[in-house]
Parts: sequence; C-alpha cells; structure tokens
Amino acid sequence: METCSRASSSLCRLFLRALPKLFASSPGLLKTCQMDEPVHGTDLPQDILTHIFALLETPDLVRAGAVCSSWRAAYTSMCITGHCRLNQTPCLLYTSESGSASAMGLYSLAEKKAYTLTLPDPSGMVADGSPSTFAPSELRNYLFYKAFLSSDPCSGDYFVVLIHNPHSQLSFARAGDDKWTWLPPHTYYEDCLFNDGLLYASTLSGEIHAFDLGAPVVEASIVLGRVKDYLLERIYIVQAPSGELLQIWRSLVPPQGDEEDENDSDIEPELNDDSQLCNTFTINVHKVDLTSKDLVEISSLGQNVLFLGHNQSLFLSAEEYPQLKANHVYFTDDDFMYITWHKNNRRDIGVFDLGNNSSEEIVSPQLWSNWPTPLWLIPNPRRMSSACCK
Amino acid sequence: MASAGSGDEKAAAAAMITLISSDNEKFEVTEATATLSQTIRHMIEDGCTDGGVPLPNVTSKILARVIEYCKKHATAAAGEEGSSSSFSDAAFLEVDRAFLEELEEFDDAFLEVDRATLFDLILAANYLDIKGLLNLTCQKVADSVKGKTPEQIREMYNIVNDLTPEEEAEIRRETQWAFE
Repeated sequence: METCSRASSSLCRLFLRALPKLFASSPGLLKTCQMDEPVHGTDLPQDILTHIFALLETPDLVRAGAVCSSWRAAYTSMCITGHCRLNQTPCLLYTSESGSASAMGLYSLAEKKAYTLTLPDPSGMVADGSPSTFAPSELRNYLFYKAFLSSDPCSGDYFVVLIHNPHSQLSFARAGDDKWTWLPPHTYYEDCLFNDGLLYASTLSGEIHAFDLGAPVVEASIVLGRVKDYLLERIYIVQAPSGELLQIWRSLVPPQGDEEDENDSDIEPELNDDSQLCNTFTINVHKVDLTSKDLVEISSLGQNVLFLGHNQSLFLSAEEYPQLKANHVYFTDDDFMYITWHKNNRRDIGVFDLGNNSSEEIVSPQLWSNWPTPLWLIPNPRRMSSACCK
Repeated sequence: MASAGSGDEKAAAAAMITLISSDNEKFEVTEATATLSQTIRHMIEDGCTDGGVPLPNVTSKILARVIEYCKKHATAAAGEEGSSSSFSDAAFLEVDRAFLEELEEFDDAFLEVDRATLFDLILAANYLDIKGLLNLTCQKVADSVKGKTPEQIREMYNIVNDLTPEEEAEIRRETQWAFE
C-alpha cells in the first residue's frame, strides 16, 4: 500500500495498521487452499481459475472468490501466493461527510465505482509506549509527509523511508530495525523512489541524491545538482520502464484574489477563507540526463500515465491499464500550506491532460470530504491474507 | 540464412498432421497450424505423430473450433514473418494493421459461444497448450465477471453455490465492502 499523508497522517496510520485486520484471512480459510482439484463437468481446474483471476481487479477478485468453494479455493491460494493481477489500477482513498467515523471510501478508477471500507475498531491497536497528547495543529509537525517502501513487505527484507514534517528530512528503517536512522542532514526532500537497491530522493530545488541504505555508512551521492531557484513547485520523481528517471514539476495557481500575499508566510492559519482555492496550473515533465547532469523537458508522456500526491509517485502505461487516460496526470492535493491553512476548501484533485494543459474532475459530484485529503492507493490482494506473510 | 529458413518453413507448412478427437473423428491440418499447440509441437519434435495424434480430452466439436482458431492465427503468424523484412514499408504496415484488425474481429466472433463451449475451449487450450487461445478465452471469462455480484456470476455460468452459510458469513465479514 503506497500511502501516507501529512495532514491526514493519523488517520492514514490508523488505516495502515488496520489493513491486515481488515483483509486478514482466518486460519479456517487458509486450510481450504490445500485443496484437491475438483473438476465436476465443466468446472474449471484450479490452475485455469488462477489464470482467469489473475486478470481481475481487486473488487472483482473478491467477488469471484465468493462464488463457490472451488472459486474460493483459487482466490485464497492466490491471496497467499500473491499471484494476483500485477496491474491493479490505483484507487482514491478518502473520507466522506456522510460516512461514519470508522468508514473510508475507495473510488475505483477501473470500475468508476465507489466502495465503503469499514475500519476495524481501533481499540487494541494503540501504539506501544506511553501515549502523548497533541493538538492536531501540533501533531502534524511530528508526522510524515510521505512514506516509501522499497518492496512489498511480504518479501521479508525491505526498507521504509519517511519524509518528515515540517522540514522534509529523510529517515529510514530496515525490516527488523528497532529505530529510525536519519539520513545525512539535508532538508526539503519532496519525493523518493527505489531503484536497483538505491534510494533516489529529489529536493525542492530539483537536486537528486542517491543513497545506498545497505551500506555501513550511508552517504548521499549527488545524481543531479540544483536545477532551479524558484521553489514554489512540487517535485516528483518516477522511473520509466526503460530505466530513465523523470522529474516532474507541478505548480499551483496562487490563491485567487490574494496574489499579493502569495509569498507572505505570515498568513494566519485562522484565515480559512472559502474563496481561496489552489489548482494545479502546469505540470512539466523532464528526463534526467545522467551524463550531462541536466534536465531535458519532454512534451508528452506518450501512452503513459502519472499518479502524483501523497502516494509513492507512479508511472504506468495506459496500454496495461486501459481504463486510464494516456498522457494524463492523476493528482491529489499534497500542498502542505494549502491543506493546513485551508482545510475546508475544495482540494486540488483531478486529471491533468498534458496535451492541452487542462484539468478535469475525477468524479462528479465530489465524493470526499475536503479534509483529510484523499490519496492514491493500489489495492494489494496479497495484503488481504497478510496473516500468511508472517 | 533467411532464404534457407523460409525454405524450411515452406516444407514444414506443407507437411500434414492428422488429429484424432475423443469421438474418433480425424482432422487433417498443416504442421504450421498444428504447432500452435506446444503439446503437438513437442510430439512432432519427438516423432510421435505417425498414424495421427489422438486427443482423448477433446471432442470433435471443440477440436473443429480449435483448428479454426489455429488456422487463422497460423496464417497471421506467417503474414507477420513475411512483412517484418519490409518493416519500414508503409504499404506493408498498412497491410499489417488491416490484418490485425481482421484478426481481432475474428477473435471477437470466435468468442461468441455458449458457456459450455467457452469452458471446453479453455480446457482444450490448456491441454493442447495453445497460449493465445488460452489467454483469449480466459480474458473472455474475466471480462464477463467484471462488476458482477457472486449471484450474477453463478447464474451466468450455472454454478451451484456450495459454500456453507458459515463460509459465506466469514467472506462477508472480511470483505463486505466489495459486495455493496
């Protein structure tokens, strides 16, 4: 699950902790995967059912798993082995005004359908250690802007990297570590990705640093130096299947009717003016030229699609995800200032067409509350039986 | 190399193989058509096709359909090889595109079958190891269950629900969200 958000961190962390419970298979179910292969008449054998189920998005997979015992067995064994569809289309995870406090919404882009997830009772899921009490305005300063996984936790050995609030420093932990380790003292990291055992992290000024987290002493090596002085854009990095690194700059329209104050850091948080809206105005995609250590702007993503926000940035091919629009960027709001100071205002969420530089709605009418901000999430059928990963 | 290769292929294409269905019907097909099946390809390589290839798991009705698919796709494969040497030629690309469209139309029409035939085609494609046909038919089933409830899927494929009430309750409890 590639999630985590700054403003919605507490909720998000609750959800992440809840997921194993939410999707856990009971021991009784696990037994059914040690099945014979019942073939009655035209019933399909398990290996063929597995082949078919591997073509399904998670909600369809779950429903197919409830058809009969043979289909159930195929579903359960797939959840355990993880041989599920690799190309799960991202969904939007959100809270809504109408839902209960323990409900979250999941909007499937593939099905254009909204689901309601019921979170388990949070009792019994309290973090270890003595609890501290913070006002939400303080709490967000201790939480994280983004979180990154080096690989599926089912693999056993993995790293988690956090971008911390409020100064956007990096820390990491390896599976089994009992503490977080700070990375060399840099600030204003915006986005990270893992490639070939290295962590690549991009800063607000477009610098890209690489870290070998497995090394005895972790040092930053400069992949790309400072490329910009104008620091108002959000920066993302993704890797294309060809191996190329892409750096994306996303800029917002300054708050409307308040242009004079756009750089004024003294705006009071209480200024929760409904008329102030932030909208994604331009998105520029650049190739990182590792030889010349420079950026080359590209005008089109071709058949590809980007997902930006609090999630681990995603670069997908519309050919593999036919429900997605090629050369478009699916974005959610991750602007700390805007989310913090204008939490009840309309969130900057939509689909940006790189062909004509315009945005459209993902779904109308809006399904989500404006706060906490929604985020992109890839449903992972394997996590539904996370109990077996232990 | 290229001319020798195509010469061999022509010789191979001319060789005929006899396939024998479970109900003892004989089908004569070219080797190019038959070798879309990896199972039959291996039998040919092992030299065990004299006197025909018995296919005890495939009825004549289904085998006829499978051969229909293989003939079309063997022609497509041969067409692709022929045009690949003139890759840059716009006229050939145009022919390629037209051919691919035709092939897609063929596949769509080919899949217009009842449930029992579709499942039998899947089983035959699996047994004969014809990757293209297996993917095509499995995709058809996958597409057909998209957005459907378990009840609708059972009805569509005439499947008896043999889950116990306890199992059903457990499924609902764990993954209720997907059923609303």
